[in-house]
Amino acid sequence: MLGISEIFEMFKNNMVNIPLIQPIIDALMNIPLVNYVVALVLWKPFFAIAILPGLGGIMLVLLLMVYWERKLTARIQWRVGPLEVFRPLRGLIQPMADGFRYFFQEVIVHVDAHRPYFVQLPILTFIPVLLPILFIPAGEIVAIRSPYAIQIIVALIALIPITIIGIGWASNSRFAYIGSVREAMMYFAYEVPFVIAVLAMILMYGSGDPYVIVEKQSVPGIIMNPIAFLVFFIATLMATSRLPFEIPEADQEIAFGPFVEYSGILFGIVMTLAYEKLYIMCLLMSILFFGGWSGFAIPLLGDLSPVIWLFVKAVVVMLIVALTRSIYPRFRLDQALRMGWTSMLAVSLVSLAVALAIRLSGWLG
Amino acid sequence: MKVEKVEFDPISRIIGHINAISVGVKQAIKPERITVEYPRERRKLPDNFRGLILFEKDRCISCFRCAFICPANAIQMELYDNYYPSIDYSKCILCHFCVDSCPTTALKQTKIHDVAFRDLEEMVVHTDEMINPPELVREDTVTVEYKINRELILERKKEVENLIVEVKPVERIEYHSACINPQNCIGCALCASVCPADAISVEINEKKVLSIDINKCTGCGLCVRECPTNTLGLVKR
Repeated sequence: MLGISEIFEMFKNNMVNIPLIQPIIDALMNIPLVNYVVALVLWKPFFAIAILPGLGGIMLVLLLMVYWERKLTARIQWRVGPLEVFRPLRGLIQPMADGFRYFFQEVIVHVDAHRPYFVQLPILTFIPVLLPILFIPAGEIVAIRSPYAIQIIVALIALIPITIIGIGWASNSRFAYIGSVREAMMYFAYEVPFVIAVLAMILMYGSGDPYVIVEKQSVPGIIMNPIAFLVFFIATLMATSRLPFEIPEADQEIAFGPFVEYSGILFGIVMTLAYEKLYIMCLLMSILFFGGWSGFAIPLLGDLSPVIWLFVKAVVVMLIVALTRSIYPRFRLDQALRMGWTSMLAVSLVSLAVALAIRLSGWLG
Repeated sequence: MKVEKVEFDPISRIIGHINAISVGVKQAIKPERITVEYPRERRKLPDNFRGLILFEKDRCISCFRCAFICPANAIQMELYDNYYPSIDYSKCILCHFCVDSCPTTALKQTKIHDVAFRDLEEMVVHTDEMINPPELVREDTVTVEYKINRELILERKKEVENLIVEVKPVERIEYHSACINPQNCIGCALCASVCPADAISVEINEKKVLSIDINKCTGCGLCVRECPTNTLGLVKR
C-alpha cells in the first residue's frame, strides 16, 4: 500500500526542473497542502498530459489556430477578419469570445437523434484525441515511455474517425449521414498511405522509439526522406479536413457534415476536434521529420526547453498548414479517393523504398 | 461528339501549385485589400461628390430651374417670402442636376453621404432644414485616399476631412427681362402671374401696357419661358 507520503515522495523525485521559477516553487513547497498540488502539477507525467504538450498546449493551440486561420484567410481574400472583439489587439480574443458563446448557448438534442450517443460521443471523442499525448515525449517530460510509441500514436489517431462516424450516425440527419459516409471514405483514402509513410520513417530510423528517432536526426528527417514527408503532409490535410480535402465537413455543400445537428457547447467540442487531431499529427510530424524536441537548450527553462522546442515546431507546422485553406478549392470525394489510392499510395511506396535504401546503406547506423 | 478526358502535364500542374502558393503567401504578407474601416476611417471624397444638397437662401433667385430639371420630380418649390426649393430624399436620386442647373450656386453639393431618416415624412427636407448642414456624429480619425497610378494604393492620413464643401458664388452676367418684340404681345398676362418677384405688371385698357420693374427683376427668365408669343427676352444689364 502506498501512503500519501510515499506518493508525495514519488512526485517530488520526478519533478520538472525549471530554474527560472525554482525559487517560487521552493517557497510553495514549504506551504502545507499547496505543496501536494505543486508537486502533482510539476510531476513529469502529469505535466506532460495536463500542461505541455498536453491539454494546456491544446487549449493554447485552439485559441491561436482559430484566430490565425480566420485572420490569414481574411488577409489573403482581401478582407479584415475578426476585429471588433477587443480592437486594440485586432480581435485577438475572438476565439475566446466564441468559446464563451458556445458555453451559454442552448444545446438542442433533436427528436430523431439517438439521444445517449448524440450527447456522449463528442465527449468520448476526447479519448482517442488525448490518449496519443500519453506517448508523445518531449525530452525528459513524458507520460508513458514506450519503444513502440510512434506505432501506438498512429493506431490511436486511426480511432478518431470512428467516433466522428458515430457522431454522424447518432445525429440521424441527411447531411450528417452524407458527412459521415464521406468521413469513412476519406478515412479509406488517407489511412493506408499515411501508415506506409510512418512505417517508412520507422524503417529508416530502425525504431519506433521517439528517443531513438530524435537522436538519429542529425539531419532532419524531411531532408532524408522528403517523399515520405509529402505523403505525411497530404495525409495530415486529409485526416484533419483541411481545405483541399475538407470533404466530410464541406460547409457549402452539407453544412459541416457530421456535426450539422450540434449546437452550444457540444458544437464547440466537435468543432475543435479537427484542430486537436491536427495538433497531434503536427507533434508526430515534428518528431518524425523536424528533429522533435532537439534544439539548443535554454538554460533558464531547464526541462521545459525541449518541450517548448517541440511545441513551437508543431505550432509552426500548423500555421503553415492553415495557409492551404485560402489557396486551394475543395476536391470532389471521388477525386480525393482516386488520389489516395493511386498517386499517394504509389508515392508512399516510393518513400518506403527510399527508407529501405537509407537503412541498407547504413547511414543512420 | 465524345467528351474526352482532359490531360494535364505534371510540370504545368506543379507550376500552377507554386503560382497559387506564391500568390497566397504574397497576399498574406502584404495584402492588396482596399477595405476602409468606415466609421473610424473615411475615404477622401472629391469636392464634386454628389452627396446631400445644401441651400443658401440669399443667392436664390427663384428661377425654378432646379424643380424643372429634376428627373425624379423630387424638388418642390415652397413659398416663403419667395419660392424656394425643398427636396424629397425618398425620390431624389442624387444626380445633382439641380446643383448643376442652378445659375447662382444657391444649391451646394456636400460630401455627406451617410444620412439617416426616421420615416418617410422626415425625408421631405424643407427649405429651412436645407440651409444648415445636418448634425453629424463623426467617429473617424483617419482619412483614406485612393491613389490610382496603374495600381491602386491606399494612403492613410491622420486627419479629419471637412465634409462641407465651400462653394464660391459664380460670377455671372446679370440679366433682366425686357420686351424685345412688343408687337407680338397679346396681353395674356402669363408673365405677370408667373413672376416670382412681382416685377411685371400688365394693364389692359385701350392699349396693352406691359411694364417691367428692372430693379425688382432677378433675371430668372421664367417670364421668357412662359411667354407664348416670344415677346419677352433676357437682356444684359
